[in-house]
Amino acid sequence: MMKTDVQSYLREKFAEHAGLPEDQLFGDDVTLATVIARSPRMTNSIDLMEAFARTANALRKEYGARVRLPAMPLDTPTTTVLKVFQEEFDRQREAVA
Amino acid sequence: MTVMDVQPRIRRSTVPAGPPAIITDLWAALTERGMSLVDVTWEQQRLHESRRWSVVDMLAAVDLDSLTPTDRMLVWNAGRAELTTKPGADRLERQANAECNRWRDTNPALASAMEACGTWSRYWNEEEAHHETVFNRLADLSGMEPIDDETFINFRQVFPDDDMLRTLVLLAISEITAAVNYGQCQHVVADPGLRRIFKQVAADEIQHRNYFIAFAKALVDSGEYHAKDAFAVAHLFLREDGELQGSARDKLEERGTHVNWWDQLETKEMDFRPEAIEKKEQLVCSALKKITGIEVHTREEVEDTWLDLLGS
Repeated sequence: MMKTDVQSYLREKFAEHAGLPEDQLFGDDVTLATVIARSPRMTNSIDLMEAFARTANALRKEYGARVRLPAMPLDTPTTTVLKVFQEEFDRQREAVA
Repeated sequence: MTVMDVQPRIRRSTVPAGPPAIITDLWAALTERGMSLVDVTWEQQRLHESRRWSVVDMLAAVDLDSLTPTDRMLVWNAGRAELTTKPGADRLERQANAECNRWRDTNPALASAMEACGTWSRYWNEEEAHHETVFNRLADLSGMEPIDDETFINFRQVFPDDDMLRTLVLLAISEITAAVNYGQCQHVVADPGLRRIFKQVAADEIQHRNYFIAFAKALVDSGEYHAKDAFAVAHLFLREDGELQGSARDKLEERGTHVNWWDQLETKEMDFRPEAIEKKEQLVCSALKKITGIEVHTREEVEDTWLDLLGS
């Protein structure tokens, strides 16, 4: 499986759960605080946490790896979150291989 | 016919006899045992009355000269933290009223449960006033850095509204955190008067936790609120670098909207920090069991259960 597949899947699923198009989520300077402000489905960091959890669940269903995300400050760029998601996914895959 | 024409009849109370207690199965009390809001309020009132105490009397029993720097720092932190409970109670009253109106036509029993919650908020607010004033007065008398008006107003900011179940679970966990902290403080302070204050306030916070659990359980029992939201809040606190770590975290959010008291404890230079994370984790898991009926024992199990409840 190519890394880009997982990246695309992550972007697609997170966009779905955030209720926002990908270009509004993963552009330059977009942070987690920006996502909460823009998303019609979020009012606070619990909603954000839930969107990530649903994305992690979808990833598990599709690729069989359970990703646990650490708490991240709201000024974290979404591109960094994607990177952390990918690293956790790779670590889980290696652990079960 | 007027109210005056109705023949008076001695009504047998639906309130259980015995010492005052929290109605832990509020939903069943309202829907199966026929308790009215007058009955529920009577129970709240007599429990409140049975637990009253005097700040003035408690302060008179403290020997100010015997307080150590650690004692005074613990008192100062507690006073600042308690400033945030008034906006919490004010918000609870408003939000419970909104929820009551929301369910009035479609689920009257749930509207009653929310009215009971809003009604109880007055007792909570009054009891928390004791905590705030006892600690702040003591900090002041013992020469600690005064709390300026700007800080006071900053700590009074009202927490933004959220889902009602989430709100109640967050408040239950906040009470757990406070109760455990004060319980820890009680064991390190030497002055008997100060020890008695920490013990009393910790007992009050446990009682408040029990109320929040009862109201949250009523929401879940009604079938209108999903257990996933209780687990979401628990995960927010228990996860690595979560809220339970409080001010010990490397990076704290600049919220600008409200103050979470657990972020503001200044304990870095103290030789004692009332953490007891494992105890808090255990009590949060116990609260989840009471609210949702789902048994978990560790923060990992909380996260796994939450993910399972969420689905994809």
